[in-house]
Amino acid sequence: MNPGNAGTPGAGQGMPAGAGAGSPAGRRTPGRSVHGLARLLSRPVSWVTRTGTRPSDGGSTTARDLALRHRLLLALSALLTLSLFVSYQGVHDDADPLRTSTAPAVLSLDTALYALGEAQRDAAQPVPTSDFQKQISVAVQSLAAAAADDDLGGPGGRQALQTLAGLITVYADKVQRSQLQPQGSLLREAYLSYATGVLAEKGSGIQDRLKALQRQQRAAVHRQTSFGPLLRLAWSLTLLLALALAAALLETQRFLRHRFRRRYNRQLLAAGLLLLAGVAVTVLFTVWTQAGMNHTRTLLDRPLPGRFIPGAGRDTASLLAGTGFRAAAAVWILIGGALLMALAETGLRRHIDDYRFRPR
Amino acid sequence: MSAHPGGPVTAAPAPRSRRAVRTVTVVASCLAVLAAAAVMGVRALGHEPAVTLLANWTGGDERHFREAVIEPFQRKYHIRVDYQGSNAESQVLGADVEAGTPPDVVVLTGPGELAEYARQKHLVPLDDLVRHAEFGPPWATRLTDGHVYWFPLKADLKSIVWYPSGLGERELRQAVRRPAAWCLGMGSGATSGWPGTDWIEDILLQRHGPAVYERWAGGDLSWRSPQVRSAWTAWRDLVGAGGDPDLVRRALQTPYQSASDPVAARPRGCTLEHQASFIRGRPAWRQTDGRYISSAELLHGAAPRGWEVSGDLVALLHDTPQARKLIRYLASADAQRAWNEGESGFSVHTGLPPAADGSRSAWHRSLALVLRDGKAAHCFDASDAMPPAVRDAFAEAAIEFLAHPDRLDRLLGSLDTLSRTPGLTWLPSVCDRT
Repeated sequence: MNPGNAGTPGAGQGMPAGAGAGSPAGRRTPGRSVHGLARLLSRPVSWVTRTGTRPSDGGSTTARDLALRHRLLLALSALLTLSLFVSYQGVHDDADPLRTSTAPAVLSLDTALYALGEAQRDAAQPVPTSDFQKQISVAVQSLAAAAADDDLGGPGGRQALQTLAGLITVYADKVQRSQLQPQGSLLREAYLSYATGVLAEKGSGIQDRLKALQRQQRAAVHRQTSFGPLLRLAWSLTLLLALALAAALLETQRFLRHRFRRRYNRQLLAAGLLLLAGVAVTVLFTVWTQAGMNHTRTLLDRPLPGRFIPGAGRDTASLLAGTGFRAAAAVWILIGGALLMALAETGLRRHIDDYRFRPR
Repeated sequence: MSAHPGGPVTAAPAPRSRRAVRTVTVVASCLAVLAAAAVMGVRALGHEPAVTLLANWTGGDERHFREAVIEPFQRKYHIRVDYQGSNAESQVLGADVEAGTPPDVVVLTGPGELAEYARQKHLVPLDDLVRHAEFGPPWATRLTDGHVYWFPLKADLKSIVWYPSGLGERELRQAVRRPAAWCLGMGSGATSGWPGTDWIEDILLQRHGPAVYERWAGGDLSWRSPQVRSAWTAWRDLVGAGGDPDLVRRALQTPYQSASDPVAARPRGCTLEHQASFIRGRPAWRQTDGRYISSAELLHGAAPRGWEVSGDLVALLHDTPQARKLIRYLASADAQRAWNEGESGFSVHTGLPPAADGSRSAWHRSLALVLRDGKAAHCFDASDAMPPAVRDAFAEAAIEFLAHPDRLDRLLGSLDTLSRTPGLTWLPSVCDRT
C-alpha cells in the first residue's frame, strides 16, 4: 500500500468542515447551493484561493501554500496574457490599415483635389492643352487608389468614390465640349459654366464631395491613431498585472528558497526573465508604433498643397515602417503566455507532487 | 513502497508530466480562444447591415428625402442606407453596372434607361414586392416580358406654367409673347439641357395630342416630321432662341433651380416659368406665392390634350434581403405620404387620397387631383422614356438650338440618325390613354 494514499492532502481526509471553500464538499453545502450566481462568480477566485489540504492538526502548510502559489501564478499569467494581447491588438491592429489604406487614401484624395484645381485652370485656356487631360488622369487614378482603402466606409464609401469618378467624367466631357466651340461663343461659355457647376457646386459638386470624403478619412485616421481611455485602462491593467505577476514570482522564489533550501527555481527564474523581456518588448513596440501613428496623424491633419503630397507620402511610409512586423508579433504574446504558464507549472509541479505523496 | 520522510518520493514520472502538459494545453487553448473571441467580438460590434441607394436628389431634396424617408426606415428596420445623390447618376450607374458593382437600389427619372437595364437583365422584377395595381401606367409599365421593374416614389406634373400671384389676366397674356418674360435656366450639371426638352415635348403634346406624342416617344415618328419640327420652332419663338445674346446667355448658363430667382427681384426680371410642379418649392415662388396655369391654356387658349408627367422611379439592381425591405418600404403608403407631406412632390399611390388633407394649399391639392385624374391623359416625359443615348443627344441639341436655331436641320438629322441605331430599347407605351 502506498502510505501517501492514506494521508495525503489530495485525498481530502482529515479536512475540517468547510475548510476548502472551492472543494467539492464545500460546494455541496446547502447554504451555497441556493446562491447559484454567487457560486458561479466565486469559482474562479476559489480556484486560486482553494487550499484543499489545510491540515487539521497544525501540521505543515507547505502543500497548501504551494497549491495557492501555483494557482495564483497560472491565473496571473493567463490574465496578463489576455490583457496584454487585447491591449497590444488595440494599438497595433489599426497600424497596418493606417499604413496600407487610410493614410494613402487621405493623400490620394488630396492629390485628386489638387489635380482637379489644376485641371480647372487649364480648362479656361483659349486652346485645349494636354495638361488638362493629364490632370484628369491624375485625379481618376488617385480616386482608384483611394478606392483600394478597405476602410473607406464599406459599400457606401465605394459608391461615393464611383459617383465621384462619374462626375469627373462628366466634368471632363463638358470642358472638352466647351473647348470645341469658338473662343468667346455663347456655347463655349455655357459648357464651361456647366463644367464649373459639376466641379464646384456647393454640397454636391466634385470638390465638396472630395472634401467630405477627406473629412471622413481624417476622422478614420484620428480613430485609428487615438490612444483613448479604453486603451489607457487596458494598458494600466496590463502593467498592474505584470507587476503583480512579477511580485508573485519573486515571492514564490523566496518561499521556495525558504522551504526547500534551494537558491533558485530555474523555471520560475526563466518565467521572470520571460515576463520582463516580453513586457519590455511589447511596450517598446507599442511606443514606437504609437509615436509613428501620432506623427502620421499630425502630418495628415491638414490639406496638403500639391507639391508637398509626394513628400508626405514618403514621410508617412517611413513613419509607419515596421508597424506590420510589430502588429504580426501579437501572436507571440499568446505563445509567450503559454510558455510562461508552462514554466510556472513545471517550476512548481515537482514540489506539489512531492507533497502529494509525502506522509504527514 | 514507502515514502521518504524528508524528501520526495519517486512518483511515476509519466502521469505527472502528462498532467502538466494537459493543464498547460487546456489553459493555453482557453487563452487563445478567449483572445480570438475578444478580437472578433470587437470587430463584429462595428458591423451592421446596409443597403446602397443611388438617386439624383441633392441639396434640399436630398435633405428632405433623408429626413422624411430614409431615417424612419433606418429606425424601423435597423438597416443603414448608404445614399448617394448626383445629377450624373446615369453616368455613375452606367459605370457601376459595367464594373459589376451596382448599387442595391436606384431611383431614376428615366423609364427608358430602366427598360434598357431590364433588357440587359440588370434589374430584378418587382412583381412579388410591389402591387402593380397600386400605381399602374404610365408609372409602373409592364414590359414586354410581362414583368414590372419599377414604381414611382414621387411624381410631378410638367405641362404647367408658373406665375406670381397678383398678375392679371392681361399681363399674363402679354408676357407670353415676350421672350424676356420667360424664366429659363438650362443648367443642370451632367443633365444640362433638359428644361429645353421639357418645353419641346409639352408643345408637341398640346399641339398634336397624346397619339402623336406617343409615336414620337416610341421612336416611330421622325424628328424631321412637321409636327416635331414645329414644336422646336414654336419654342424658339417663345423664348427668343438665337435672339438677344444676353438673354440667351442667361438662359444657357443659369441653373434650372435659380431660373425663377428674378421673379422675386425688384424690378422683376422675369414673370413666367414653364417648369414641373417641384419648382414651386423654390424660394422665389414661395415668396411670390406662385400660381400655375396649364401650358395649353396659356399658349393655345385651349384645354390640355394631355398632361406631361415625370416620376422618380425606384428599381432593384441587387437582390439582398435589406434591399427588398427598402423596396417594400418605398412602395408603401407611409413612405409615399412622407414625400407628399414635404410638398417636394406628389404620390400616385392609389392607397393615398390625392388631396384629402385640408391643410394643403390650393395649388397643391389641385395639382394632386390632376395627377390622379382618371379621365385625363397622362404622358410620361418623352425624353426620359427614350433610350439614354437619344435622351442625352436631345438635351445637347436643345442647348445648341437655343444659341443657334439656324442649325435645326442638322440637329434633327443627327437625332433621327441616332434614333435609328439598331439595338435601342424603346418603351411600348408612355401615355395612359391616347
